[in-house]
Amino acid sequence: MSEDPITLEIIQNALQATSDEMFAAMRKTAMSSIIYEVLDMGTGITDAEGRLASSGAGIPAFIGVLDKSVQFILSKHKNIRPGDVFITNDPWHGGVTHLNDLVLAMPVFVDGQLIAWTANIAHNSDIGGMAPGSLSGDAKEVFQEGLRLPAVKIVNEGVTDDAVMDILTCNSRMPDFLKGDVWAAIAAVRVGERRLGNLAEKYTAKTFLAAMDSFMDFGETAARAELAKLPKGTFELNEPQDDGQVFNVKVTISDDEFVVDFRDNPDQSSGPANATRDGTVICAQMLFKALTGPDTPANDGSFRPLTVLTREGSIFHAKEPAAIGFYYETEIRSNDLIWRCLAPHIPDLLPAGHFSSICGTFVGGIHPDTGRQYTIIEPQIGGWGAGHNHDGISCTFCNFHGETYNTPAEISEARNGLYVDRMALNTSPGGEGEFNGGRGLVLEYRIRTRDGFLTVGYTRSKVKPWAMEGGNEGSGNYVEVIKPDGTERYSFVSGLDVTTDDVIRVVTSSGAGYGDPRKRDLAAVAADIKSGFISTERASEIYGA
Amino acid sequence: MSDTTRRVATDVGGTFTDLVAFETGADGQLKITTAKSDTTPPNFEAGVLNVLEKGGIDPATVDFMAHGTTVVINALTERKGVPVGLITTEGFRDILEIARGNRPDFFNLHYVKPAPFVPRHLRAEVPGRMTYLGDERAPLDLSTLPDIMENFRAEGVEAVAICLLHGYANPTHEKAVLAEVEKLWPDVSVVASHQITREWREYERTNTTVLSAFVQPVAARYLSQLDDGLKSRGLPKSPYIMQSNCGIDSLAATSKIPITMVESGPASGFWGAAELGKLIGEPDILALDIGGTTAKCSLIEGGEVKIMTDYWIERSRKSAGYPIMVPVVDLVEIGNGGGSIARVDDFGKLHVGPQSAGALPGPAAYGKGGTQATTTDANLWLGRINRGYFCGGSVEADMAATESTLSDLASKLDVTVDDAARGIVRIANDNMVNALKLVSLNRGHDTRDFTLLAFGGGGSMHAVALAQELQMKKVIVPAAASVFSAWGMMMSDLRRDYFATQLMDLTAGAGARIEDIFAQTEAEARAAFEAEGVAPDKISFLRYGKLRYQNQEHTTEVPLTGDITDASLDKIAQEFHAIYEKEYTYRLYAPVEMVGVHLVARAEVGKLIMAPAKLCPADAQGAIKATRAVDYALEGVHEATIYDGDALKPGMSFTGPAIIEDSGSTVVIHPGNQVSIDAYSNIHIVLEA
Repeated sequence: MSEDPITLEIIQNALQATSDEMFAAMRKTAMSSIIYEVLDMGTGITDAEGRLASSGAGIPAFIGVLDKSVQFILSKHKNIRPGDVFITNDPWHGGVTHLNDLVLAMPVFVDGQLIAWTANIAHNSDIGGMAPGSLSGDAKEVFQEGLRLPAVKIVNEGVTDDAVMDILTCNSRMPDFLKGDVWAAIAAVRVGERRLGNLAEKYTAKTFLAAMDSFMDFGETAARAELAKLPKGTFELNEPQDDGQVFNVKVTISDDEFVVDFRDNPDQSSGPANATRDGTVICAQMLFKALTGPDTPANDGSFRPLTVLTREGSIFHAKEPAAIGFYYETEIRSNDLIWRCLAPHIPDLLPAGHFSSICGTFVGGIHPDTGRQYTIIEPQIGGWGAGHNHDGISCTFCNFHGETYNTPAEISEARNGLYVDRMALNTSPGGEGEFNGGRGLVLEYRIRTRDGFLTVGYTRSKVKPWAMEGGNEGSGNYVEVIKPDGTERYSFVSGLDVTTDDVIRVVTSSGAGYGDPRKRDLAAVAADIKSGFISTERASEIYGA
Repeated sequence: MSDTTRRVATDVGGTFTDLVAFETGADGQLKITTAKSDTTPPNFEAGVLNVLEKGGIDPATVDFMAHGTTVVINALTERKGVPVGLITTEGFRDILEIARGNRPDFFNLHYVKPAPFVPRHLRAEVPGRMTYLGDERAPLDLSTLPDIMENFRAEGVEAVAICLLHGYANPTHEKAVLAEVEKLWPDVSVVASHQITREWREYERTNTTVLSAFVQPVAARYLSQLDDGLKSRGLPKSPYIMQSNCGIDSLAATSKIPITMVESGPASGFWGAAELGKLIGEPDILALDIGGTTAKCSLIEGGEVKIMTDYWIERSRKSAGYPIMVPVVDLVEIGNGGGSIARVDDFGKLHVGPQSAGALPGPAAYGKGGTQATTTDANLWLGRINRGYFCGGSVEADMAATESTLSDLASKLDVTVDDAARGIVRIANDNMVNALKLVSLNRGHDTRDFTLLAFGGGGSMHAVALAQELQMKKVIVPAAASVFSAWGMMMSDLRRDYFATQLMDLTAGAGARIEDIFAQTEAEARAAFEAEGVAPDKISFLRYGKLRYQNQEHTTEVPLTGDITDASLDKIAQEFHAIYEKEYTYRLYAPVEMVGVHLVARAEVGKLIMAPAKLCPADAQGAIKATRAVDYALEGVHEATIYDGDALKPGMSFTGPAIIEDSGSTVVIHPGNQVSIDAYSNIHIVLEA
């Protein structure tokens, strides 16, 4: 007998509510600002086989991670019991991203039957390795990037494995943070497990499973309806990178398939900027989702029409034991490649290039007032590209992030013991067009104690955000370190010494422009001038106004 | 005569201005009068005077008047405030535009960021810095202020907002800028952030200050016209104004910082729920207010409403919205009311709300051209609402229109018309259950420990089904449920919530520091009340500490009692551990730190005192109007006894299935429910165990 559609709908709503509830629980209890403020985290529910059923708000780059983790756990473990919680962080053991991102997953049983999994992922501040914060531009192997957790049980039928917890905390430079964050994650999967268990008991496991299946089928139907509207054909792009490499993508769109081919790309790097295959798949999923219905739920079905081809041993499909700490800058490049490749063909769906870098910024040292260690780990906000009928937005997180918040200056000064001298829109030239790109950021940290460090890894520094239809490219991402003896500019630097009164100036790019600047509406140009975004002289030069 | 006390609540909404008058006679008996008239923009006081006249109330005879208004929220959402100029710290004028950088609609590559309320050319900077500890790092330089004011005037600015970095820790610089602005431009409306909030986060505080400035002249004009109008008709004392923190405040204080009224609409109902709970011995309540377009809910524990400063307008899955850092009752609101439209999407899924049929065309059954089925139509179709007594008999239900819209949905869903109507009720209930879970289960509260109190036009129709779903044992529908919010206003005290950020470890010396912050804040509150003529013995305080584990961000509020010394620190920490564990399921063996304080200052100013009536015999036969078939969705169709709500008297009791009808509301009572009427005419519904 077929299930009552209203009951299925109610269960599907509960899946979403449960993902959201896990997200809220974790956010409120986490220790690290990267989790509770930046919200570098995600929650989700999979079915018994590890297919994504629903995900909590957070960052889109984490939505497709948890299913892959659960699938790995299922392939490795035969003895999965109620009350177990698994932990993984290693991309060759279901971890997908880098070692800082701990994934916790818990099976949900009803009457002895495995019916679902609840899971979460969050960036932890320090998991060991060669550098504070675990990320180093000098890493050559994953072993230098911290403790690898190959999908092991951290809770055994409800009993915490103190040995695993001890190994974890002993390997971290920030054991209290790590312990607090792991507990927040355990509490979150447990909240979800309890809710789903109640739901399945109430409606029966059979109906619960039917609701999950039909939800995924709905995801697929919704995606295919949008896929049908996309232009068909094969599209290709080669793009040079800041470091001189050239990346390639071929996208083939047919009536029932969306194939992204990344096979023709350079070999994996000896440094930490490698992506894994799972990570590259997620990048393609994010763009595919943006094109095929950003408003409908994202689940396993949403991605069924998508195929991603990679070559093992390449930068987009690195082999063990490649270093992967800065994986995200390579991932965002692959995502932006697809975006740039398709934008000219679907300008109503895809705006011009945005600052397109996580702009991961790590600053650490001793808090001058408390004497405690502080570590800033934060992505930056920047300018978004203009669309075919609108200016880009200013100072917003890149498309890998979503419900992510920057750190207020008042909180940063208290927590980190440095000064924030400036947090402003970047008004340097770039991104002009009939529609302008949005503004990037200028953020100045003034260091208050000796023996601090700075690590950054930004892309889109030399090769800038790409324009459309004759607009100007964006201004580029970089960081400047201002010392008494001069100013240095960087886009990649690891463990740079910073000391009292040094100023770290983070500068992020404007988004790129769309259309010939000379076609820009004169009233809009006048508003740009009045706002102090451009001088009258330069406006007349660029816009002919 | 003076042995009758007359209290009046008026409420100005978008369409109607409502009046509820409560007259307490010498015998303690309460008489309630209601009246309604059109809202009269822009001279809103005219509508208030009209409704008083319509209700037969002579303002000269009113002992106590409370007033609620949507003027602030309307000015914000309709962008009908005044042009604002912002003065902020050097290096930070773009904070208002940068906001927090989040993009809630995260797969959408065309996300539109909310535009700041002050454009860049009206955001000015002054040099000078405080540290987070409140020490001066660089002196304030006011030399550019005359030019800034000149520019603001030339650009048509009508209100000035001042928000400086770390102004919450030390407002000296803000006060100096404020004084200088008042000197340079004496008649401009001006507000500084420390006058509104003493909490950190510069974007939230700046935006709050700007939005307050934006509405200030509009609200001040409104309030002064109202006051003048009422006084000219003889009202002896200015009305009190309903606030978002469930309290009322004086008209004079509200005129200065009107932003505190922003969410005053729902607040009075939730306050009423808390007060009613205290009156009838139900301190733990889930309160649900279902109106025409939205449902709102809030949790009351131990008789206390929860007040927070994490409030946003226009925030959704599609937009980051705008923060307003003022004390607002902790509530969840969803687009799900009687007029919510049901539709089937392209993928065959049924949705109810958030779109609403509004007052026009309204539900299809209004017969005013509504072509989409609403929750009200489904309730009519299922016999839950009386077709022959729709809207208290004032509207003839157009059942043909209802059937046609429901048939349309049924064919899209491939089910019967009855099933389509049941589906609407079930989905609407599910939406509300999820909202109720957000304020209860999601915050560590077990719904089984709470009583559901349902009010507003639609609350009593869905309450029992929701309580069943949440395994709650009891539902209460208050007397005069449709004007319950007005009753809440009559039960309010003068209330001001003070929040202050001050970070400290719970180590030796902290006790005195915490006591000092409270003592200072209490002195400030006391001085303000006494300056307004409140008797000192009427003033009382509640203290809360905002605590967290070191390095966390979010805080948990812990009630504090008695003077705080170093000896109390351990007890405070233990209470924090316990409350934290209750909410989040675990505790940590980590140091606890205090982030700030929350002080509630209250003063009683003549609220209503309720007298219980004598109970009559239990037999409710005399109140029976009829019987009819009612479809209870999941529980099927039952022949229900229909009771006339006006004929039910204290002490009566009966068993469901039943419906209670009066002119304002319909109470749906499921099979097996035990119903009794208490001494204050509230309806108690005990669910079958």
